[in-house]
Amino acid sequence: MTRLPVRWRAEHALQAVAGLVVAGLLVVMFYYPVATVLADAFLQQGYGPLALVLDPLHAITTEVIHGILASPFFFGAAHTLFEDPVVVPGDVATYTWTVLQTARPTLVDRLPFVVFVHDAGHVSFGLFGFTVYQALLSTILSVIIGLPGAWVLARFEFPGRKTIRSLTAVPFVMPSIMVAVGFIAMFGQQGTLNDGLRALHLPTINILYSLEIIVLAHAFYDAPLVARVTAAAWETVDSRMVESARSLGASDRTAFKHVVLPQLTPAILTGALLTFVFSFLSFAIVLTLGGLEYATVEVWMYQSVRELKFQQAAGIGVLETTLSLAVTYAYLRYESKQTTTRAAHPPARKRLFERFSLDRLAVAGIALFAIILFVGPVVSMLLESVTGPQGFTLRNYAFLLQRQTEAYSFQVKPLTAVTNSLLFGVGCLLLAVPMGLLIAVLSTRGFRGRKVIDALAMAPFAVSGVVVGLGLLRGLVFGVTLFGYRFTVSGPVAIVAAHAVGSYPFVVRNVAPILGSLDRQLVEAARSLGATRTRALYDIELPLVASGILAGTAFAFALSVGEFDSTVILATGGQGYTMPVAIERFIGRRLGPATAMGCVLLVVTAVSFVVIDRVGEGFQRG
Amino acid sequence: MANVTLTDVSKRFAETTALDTVSLEIEDGEFFTLVGPSGCGKTTTLRTIAGFETPTEGTVAFDSEDVAGVPVEERDVGIVFQNYALFPHMTVAENVAYSLRFRDAPGGATKDERVTELLELVDLAGMGDRDPSELSGGQQQRVALARSLAPGPSLLLLDEPMSALDARLRETLRRQVKRIQQELDITTIYVTHDQEEALSISDRLAVMHNGRVEQVGTPREVYRTPDTRFVAEFIGDNNVLTGTITDRDDASGNATIEVDDHALTLADVGDRTVGDTVTFCVRPEALSQTATENRFTMTVETAEFLGETTRIYGRWNDRQIVVRLDDVPDRETIELGFSPDAATILEP
Repeated sequence: MTRLPVRWRAEHALQAVAGLVVAGLLVVMFYYPVATVLADAFLQQGYGPLALVLDPLHAITTEVIHGILASPFFFGAAHTLFEDPVVVPGDVATYTWTVLQTARPTLVDRLPFVVFVHDAGHVSFGLFGFTVYQALLSTILSVIIGLPGAWVLARFEFPGRKTIRSLTAVPFVMPSIMVAVGFIAMFGQQGTLNDGLRALHLPTINILYSLEIIVLAHAFYDAPLVARVTAAAWETVDSRMVESARSLGASDRTAFKHVVLPQLTPAILTGALLTFVFSFLSFAIVLTLGGLEYATVEVWMYQSVRELKFQQAAGIGVLETTLSLAVTYAYLRYESKQTTTRAAHPPARKRLFERFSLDRLAVAGIALFAIILFVGPVVSMLLESVTGPQGFTLRNYAFLLQRQTEAYSFQVKPLTAVTNSLLFGVGCLLLAVPMGLLIAVLSTRGFRGRKVIDALAMAPFAVSGVVVGLGLLRGLVFGVTLFGYRFTVSGPVAIVAAHAVGSYPFVVRNVAPILGSLDRQLVEAARSLGATRTRALYDIELPLVASGILAGTAFAFALSVGEFDSTVILATGGQGYTMPVAIERFIGRRLGPATAMGCVLLVVTAVSFVVIDRVGEGFQRG
Repeated sequence: MANVTLTDVSKRFAETTALDTVSLEIEDGEFFTLVGPSGCGKTTTLRTIAGFETPTEGTVAFDSEDVAGVPVEERDVGIVFQNYALFPHMTVAENVAYSLRFRDAPGGATKDERVTELLELVDLAGMGDRDPSELSGGQQQRVALARSLAPGPSLLLLDEPMSALDARLRETLRRQVKRIQQELDITTIYVTHDQEEALSISDRLAVMHNGRVEQVGTPREVYRTPDTRFVAEFIGDNNVLTGTITDRDDASGNATIEVDDHALTLADVGDRTVGDTVTFCVRPEALSQTATENRFTMTVETAEFLGETTRIYGRWNDRQIVVRLDDVPDRETIELGFSPDAATILEP
């Protein structure tokens, strides 16, 4: 039986064109650059990415990757596994022997990690091992700090609880370089902490450029995240389940262990995993607070780029991305097996300020600690920015507005950094908001291949800013030859592209959930009343997701203004530096201007956050 | 005004067949109802007529004209959805006026005049400035009705419009919808899973089951002479029995049927002959203690007092029997009987 073909409709064509434009932008701004990184890592020099398809036999080489895997610098004692996998690493044999010699091996001696093998008395992690190690430490500390926070947020009622709860989302938009400035202002030699200690005639402490401060800064970033996801899960535990357990004979403590804790575990694991991945890929914090001495893979990749060792940088990037993707994938498999329920009867909260009790004393302790860790660095940065040798001053802010005509060309001009930041922010919005919107629309329409589009469009989430920056530098800034013409892109354009790539997924995340939860019948009603599908999109769907679009815009702007990882790579050559890049260059020499710029970033972040928090219900849900 | 013809319409999704050769003819100005349990295909049929679904096979025609390929917005149909689907960012008046962005109001009326007229029609005069969220469920549904009627469509489709409302309100709104339909003389297709609603509101109805149309007819025909066992059991209460023909009087068509060694007499078994198995039904209200024929003894199990009548469930041998009497019986067993022409023979 034949049927009349469905009438060809302009809107189908429009949808297809929009899809193609977005796909094209993604290819140019993300997939081609990433392919360039892959090509650098896997191709002989002199071959372009196309050789992967055209001449794979001659072009492909595993030398770069193998060189990294088999290097003790990168993989510590584990490097022999890649160098000669059949042979048991000599270190391991020696180490095992030493352990066996010891009459009572301690727990540490028995650590079953082949990677952490004693080598002439110390543990040789290698660069990758150290990166994993610091990420593990950061995760443990974030969970230790985050869980009590979750307990307070989920179990107590007090004025300002909701505000604090929404503040736990701030790290999503807070520039990492700003956190670094705050930490230096607080914990530095002349920081507020030491000023306070001196005032009390106590010995000062110096933890700058140490593993401790890196881990602490990561906890500053990620403990609120752990608290947030755990508190959210805690609030959905149905109080009637606990009551059932109690009525069946369980004590308060046992009921918590048997009923509440199992329902919190997936959330705690989520928080821990996100913390691990974020800390593993952390760049600005490690670079500014640790320096090369405590370099992680990201920092070393950046260092390789600066030394023009692009193949090595690409190899590191490929290995690092593989590792973080593997962890994320394993987690997603785990998460898909979890089922969540919504509590019809969330547990009642205790009033915090009522009468004295032991748990309320604990809350006070947690609050004090939270104020020192979370408020301290921000306030220290503010104070530092308005104090000079003679007390209060606005000198640092005035410095930001100076044209500085006398500056040398290689020096950073503060006003240029400010205007660049704002210009790139606007440019990023112009790209990221329409892209995010189109992807949200396409991904909520039901058609075949939607999941593939979802995954491809969200991929930039999983690739670090340094890798994106490297790809854009190698792929577009250095130029690409097409049909005999050489196309190059200037650094600033590449920076805008990098910012757009990093922020449009947030637009999608803010818009798609609202769009997806819209009643399908609203559109059907509009169509039955005479609107075309496209018209229904304008009349009905877009007005209803306006709040999500606004929140996504705020997100994109805040992320662009605070972006450091890819910008610092693309701003080499003294062109296109932004506030975060300027902060990094100021930080060692002139802390004042750095803190002033940090405060400007703080204002942008705060305003964006207020917008997101007030209107962005999609984010609150997600 | 329009008549709607479905010819052998089938709709298959990846795994399931939602509609299986559905053919219907809906007359001009008729109030036609699609009724059946959930998943029977009634909503898919409505969505196919609206143009939201494309049939896998078969044709849909408005006034004998095939509408394949005509998009929803050009089909000239008004649709009312189960959950109202009012646009939350528009006022009541803006909702009602939405279609007038694309079409002129009928009779050359201005937008405002048309909105006022429609709000009066659904008894919501003066509510135009409200937000939909300020209205009750019943009021919202009336706004949805007014909105769907604004461009003067030639066909009105209602998809379970009252299932979210409470029982008392449903009855009021039902009468209101029927009144408006008659006033405008508009062809209306109504989808419901509520058989009582279907009986009370329709000119004609189609009972659907597993993607097929089981029976089409007036409420009376469908209630009194169900074609199939499914219709007999879905529409109203019923007693469905099966037996074997043991004797047949060719002159009258009367037959004796043995059910559990009990001989019953039925009028008109058609061309069925001795030895055939027949399934038939007897309505609860057709069973009476005073009837002289087809008597049997029922053991009373439960009785539901419903006010004007009492519904009594019980057993005759192993069969569940339901009967309506004036009051709860004071004995454990009662004698019942029914007249031979009160039974309806069903398709197997």
